[in-house]
Amino acid sequence: MAEPGTPLQGAPTPSAASEDVLRVEHIGKRFGPVTALKDVNLHLKKGEVLGLLGDNGAGKSTLIKILCGFQKPDTGRMFLRGEPYEPKSVDDARAKGIETVYQDLALIDELSVFHNLFLRKERVHKPLPLLANRQMKREARTALDEIGINIPRIDVAVARLSGGQRQAIAVARTVNSDADIILLDEPLAAMGAKEGAMILDLVARLKEEGRVSIIMILHNYVHVLEACDRVSMIQDGAIALDKPTAETSVEELTDIVVNEYKRARMANHEDTAPAT
Amino acid sequence: MASVTQGSPSPSPASGGGGLVSTDAKPSPARQVLERLVSLREGSIIVVAIVVAVYFAINTSSFLTGENFKTLLPYFAPLAILGAGEVFVMILGEIDLSIAAMYLFAPIVFFKLDSAGLGLVPSVLLALIACMAVGVVNGAFVSIVGVSSFVTTLGMLFTFEGLSLIIAKGQPNPTPGAQVHQTTVQVHHIVNGHNIVLPEKVNHIGTFAKIFGGGVYSELIWAIVIVLALQVVLTFTRWGLYTVAIGSNKIGAAEAGVKVKLVTIRNFVLCALTAGLVGIFEAVRSQTIQPDPSGPNEILLLAIAGAVIGGTLLSGGSGTVVGALIGALFLGILKDGLILQGVQANYLLFYTGLAIVVAMTANVYVGRARRGSGSG
Repeated sequence: MAEPGTPLQGAPTPSAASEDVLRVEHIGKRFGPVTALKDVNLHLKKGEVLGLLGDNGAGKSTLIKILCGFQKPDTGRMFLRGEPYEPKSVDDARAKGIETVYQDLALIDELSVFHNLFLRKERVHKPLPLLANRQMKREARTALDEIGINIPRIDVAVARLSGGQRQAIAVARTVNSDADIILLDEPLAAMGAKEGAMILDLVARLKEEGRVSIIMILHNYVHVLEACDRVSMIQDGAIALDKPTAETSVEELTDIVVNEYKRARMANHEDTAPAT
Repeated sequence: MASVTQGSPSPSPASGGGGLVSTDAKPSPARQVLERLVSLREGSIIVVAIVVAVYFAINTSSFLTGENFKTLLPYFAPLAILGAGEVFVMILGEIDLSIAAMYLFAPIVFFKLDSAGLGLVPSVLLALIACMAVGVVNGAFVSIVGVSSFVTTLGMLFTFEGLSLIIAKGQPNPTPGAQVHQTTVQVHHIVNGHNIVLPEKVNHIGTFAKIFGGGVYSELIWAIVIVLALQVVLTFTRWGLYTVAIGSNKIGAAEAGVKVKLVTIRNFVLCALTAGLVGIFEAVRSQTIQPDPSGPNEILLLAIAGAVIGGTLLSGGSGTVVGALIGALFLGILKDGLILQGVQANYLLFYTGLAIVVAMTANVYVGRARRGSGSG
């Protein structure tokens, strides 16, 4: 393990545990010969915004996919509001209040904005199985207004929107649901500064409301310190650091990564050099 | 059904149909109609079909007659029904080549079951269920095993065409329930005030045959009902929405919780069902069950051509059932018109091929205009 601190390697303290909405203990996941996650411990408090950091391939996206029910962990336990949590599918996780916005943007290009917002939650004219498009348009407009996203037309295909607008709609889709835990997988990827600011504003507004708890994968340390209450860093499939953002700095975060990089290089040398 | 009229005016969930909403200047009504037409996914093929129809109406006196309409029907009604099922598979980004085999297989199963004494309607239903089972296999291979749909259905095409030949032992058979009965009736004539009774022969076909393709307009009615019903399913139900979603972004749809395997299998079942149904209609109409794959294979390719020129993308994510009907109508008008014009039989395929390329080119340009015009 990297030197600059592994303050939270075991379970969280009992006082903290009581207010956790989501707690993850000793999660491991392998894909054939590749170990994506070794031993991950993570907790999320109500109304908290947790930043998840880590290099490419460190296991962030795998962790998110396990949390949202898309993949199953090989080992470990998860707790949702104190109850054991074993999602059988994305639908199951969603029914339990966990929604995800994916890195690869699960928006459907050919569908309109409002159909995307309501995908798998469509309103229909009961008892007929026909889509209630007007109702969905109206509700979509209200939902977007409420969280302050300005999309001029909601009946156009999302293919015609900008990256920022698409991301905003993807976030809105989760907020629009009854989710109380939202997972954002690199919400600022491939986005201009202005559009990124729009998404961070949105996250800030959600934090103010305090209704939802958010785990957000980010790459930019400045964004993490700006938008998150706490930061967890994954290295080599385990949590290497877990601190409130107020107690850490860009320098400390950078140091951890640099040290890890040096250690990995050393390890590589040891592996290959004495081979003769 | 109220939602059909109050919902989005466009026939596709993706197109939104709001092309007219934002125009603040008032264009002439003709221009509005044109813009509206262009904003439709089927717009270009409607224009092309009308142009071709007008051309033949001007150039041949017999084109615009009721009699000719009747000869036109068998060209396009089967293609429209086949296309309707195929569109559901094509929007997924897949293709079903095995429809030609279902077209051949269903009537042969129907004949065998009827010969075994099951009765007409139960035999038809079981034959169609057999086709649907093949659809399940197609869908399962594509969505669960992960074999490409082209390869899967190509294999099933040969397998079931071969199986049809084996079952029929290569022999044509009379279609059960479709035979024409001639009866002699005494008709009263009044000639010069005298009542004269003369015998006359009258052809009868049974109710079963009238319903299942034997009646003059039977296939047309089936085609219209099936196309409209499936268009409603595509545009106004979750099934249709998920079909478009999978074709547009399969992973995204799965991550959102759409049951990709279920929808894929269901669409292949639907496609196989429509193909089996058309096979039975055509067998009843022609009164014989020919175990010859060449006809079905040509119809397969024409049905796909009709769907594609009707505005359905081979790459998936977009398509319309009504478009496939109009595409089929276009192919029908073309063939019928060329024959009426006295074009040599040897030239028919050649002209059909050129027309498909021209219609597709028109589609591409109109599609660009549509995307540029600001309507989704």
